[in-house]
Amino acid sequence: MTLLAAPREEAALAFLSRYAIFIVLVLVFGLALAVSDAFLKPAYLGNVTRQIAPVGIAAIGVTFVMILGGVDLSVGAVISLTAVLCAVQMDGEVANIAPAILAACAAGAAIGAANGLVVAFTRVSPFILTLGMGIAVAGLTQIYSGGTARGIVAPGFREFFNHRIGGVLPVLAVAFLALAALGLVVQRLTVFGRQLFLIGSNRRAALLSGTPLAGVTILAYALSGLFGALAGIALLARSGVSNTLSGQGLEFQVLAAVVLGGTTFEGGRGGIGGTVAGVLVLVIAFNLVNISGLPYHMQLVVMGAVIILASAVYGQIGNRSE
Amino acid sequence: MAVARLSTGLDLERAGIWLLLATAVAASALTIPEFRDPANLANILRQSSVLGILAIGQTFVIAVGMIDLSVGMIAGLVVVLACWILGGDPELTLVAVALMLALGSAIGLLNGLLVNRLKLHPLILTFAMLSVLQGVIFTITDRSVGRASPTLQAIANGSLLGFPLSAILLLAVLALFHVVFSHSRFGYHLIAVGGNAEGARRAGVDVKRVRLACFVISGFLAALAGLLLAGRLGTGYPLAGSGLELDAIVAVVLGGTALAGGRGSVLRSVGGVIALTIISNVLNLLEVSAFVQLFVKGLIVIVAIIVNQPPRERP
Repeated sequence: MTLLAAPREEAALAFLSRYAIFIVLVLVFGLALAVSDAFLKPAYLGNVTRQIAPVGIAAIGVTFVMILGGVDLSVGAVISLTAVLCAVQMDGEVANIAPAILAACAAGAAIGAANGLVVAFTRVSPFILTLGMGIAVAGLTQIYSGGTARGIVAPGFREFFNHRIGGVLPVLAVAFLALAALGLVVQRLTVFGRQLFLIGSNRRAALLSGTPLAGVTILAYALSGLFGALAGIALLARSGVSNTLSGQGLEFQVLAAVVLGGTTFEGGRGGIGGTVAGVLVLVIAFNLVNISGLPYHMQLVVMGAVIILASAVYGQIGNRSE
Repeated sequence: MAVARLSTGLDLERAGIWLLLATAVAASALTIPEFRDPANLANILRQSSVLGILAIGQTFVIAVGMIDLSVGMIAGLVVVLACWILGGDPELTLVAVALMLALGSAIGLLNGLLVNRLKLHPLILTFAMLSVLQGVIFTITDRSVGRASPTLQAIANGSLLGFPLSAILLLAVLALFHVVFSHSRFGYHLIAVGGNAEGARRAGVDVKRVRLACFVISGFLAALAGLLLAGRLGTGYPLAGSGLELDAIVAVVLGGTALAGGRGSVLRSVGGVIALTIISNVLNLLEVSAFVQLFVKGLIVIVAIIVNQPPRERP
């Protein structure tokens, strides 16, 4: 097939598959503009980005794992746990902000590293493993909090993250974009980032060329846990209230965004840039549902339809460019 | 063959779940008097029936190398719709049952068609279907609606000579689908497709049709489980199906069915369901909090898949 395909067509397909999500983003944004001119207002756009920041931050970490050919379904539970942990540790004192954030990050990274250890040294399915880890962590969260909202955020914590720089851009939105930039640097400019793609696209070649498979795997899952914790902190900052179930189901939005962005379950493809675009497409689609007056729960239907459509398109492009 | 089997020692994949089940029953019966109460044992069987039927369907899908995350929401949708119809007129039980079974099969058919035509990863597709169905359920209602008819409630909660009717239903479904899975041409085809789709295709098996049939079976059984659940709950609770798909997958994995496909047994999957129910029952009897139970369930999943790993690939 590869030999017969005209190089020009192949190049066009490769271009399409690489930039499809950005084209989709432009189209969805155009559709949004046609429906409502609110999408032209910078304050509204800033607010939309703030709204999706927790999902977006978690999606950055999950992208690392999925490039490697793994998956992390425990992020939703990690978000819940770290949000509660952060609030309880903060206990309404400004002096506790830094230790609380550190504790949450450590907990997230530790759970991720545990996932990574099991994946690296056994042959279990990461899908079921992280699902089980998610259930266990959700149980831990409930045990820790006693099942009710506990902990009080320090004064100024919520206000700082929701403050609009220049009256337009919320700090939380900036934090999301900064973390995405950081993720992009890790993915593109570090040895670790290149090793992720090598392992994801050809595990055997990676092994034979001396790539430290176990180390890279553990680090990728630990990063996913860490970004899950940052997402939990972002969620706490956004709402200012800790809730033991706040992250429940978010892993599916995260997964949808990553897959929309062109990172596949098979690994070796995609990246953070696509994920950020996927996150934005998802949040614009959600807001379109709201603006057009459809029932709130139709968001779920739209999300499902968007996932099916996007994956189908990638599937078609992927099959032809191979 | 016999020598090879012997030299590998204990076959955990096949015997593991029965060992776990026997240990769980023996340990609980010896240490907890309330566990031995016939009413409690009947209760365990009754509680196992909904999940058992779901797990049988999931075994077909997993053994053929796919997965179906939409079953919990199919069951949830059936609970809401069945109670909504029957709340208006309890005389419509037969019509409602037929409609719901057709609805479940149709959703399964749609899953199978989309997997075949669009070449989507079944995980992604059925997850998206989960999301769509959840949206549909909540758009219909965000609170309990309608009422299950007396007939459905009697099937779900009644007993025949002290034996729960729902358990009899589970046994009948189990017997039928065990024959289909392990002793029919379709069953052999399904194992062949799950083990090596390309090899099965070259041997003349219609891979797409086998996959399609597995998704239809999964959707049909999910609807049946939903009807039973509607009878148990007595009302159309919109969250009734949430998370059931995960419990079903956990039971199948506990039963030693490989997620990669090509192996499995509906008997062992139901064994997995009963083991899970017994563990939860014992934790309840010991008055362990629901939170700790959740944690324990997660640990069970992790330990079960680590113990029951796929065999090491030969280099």
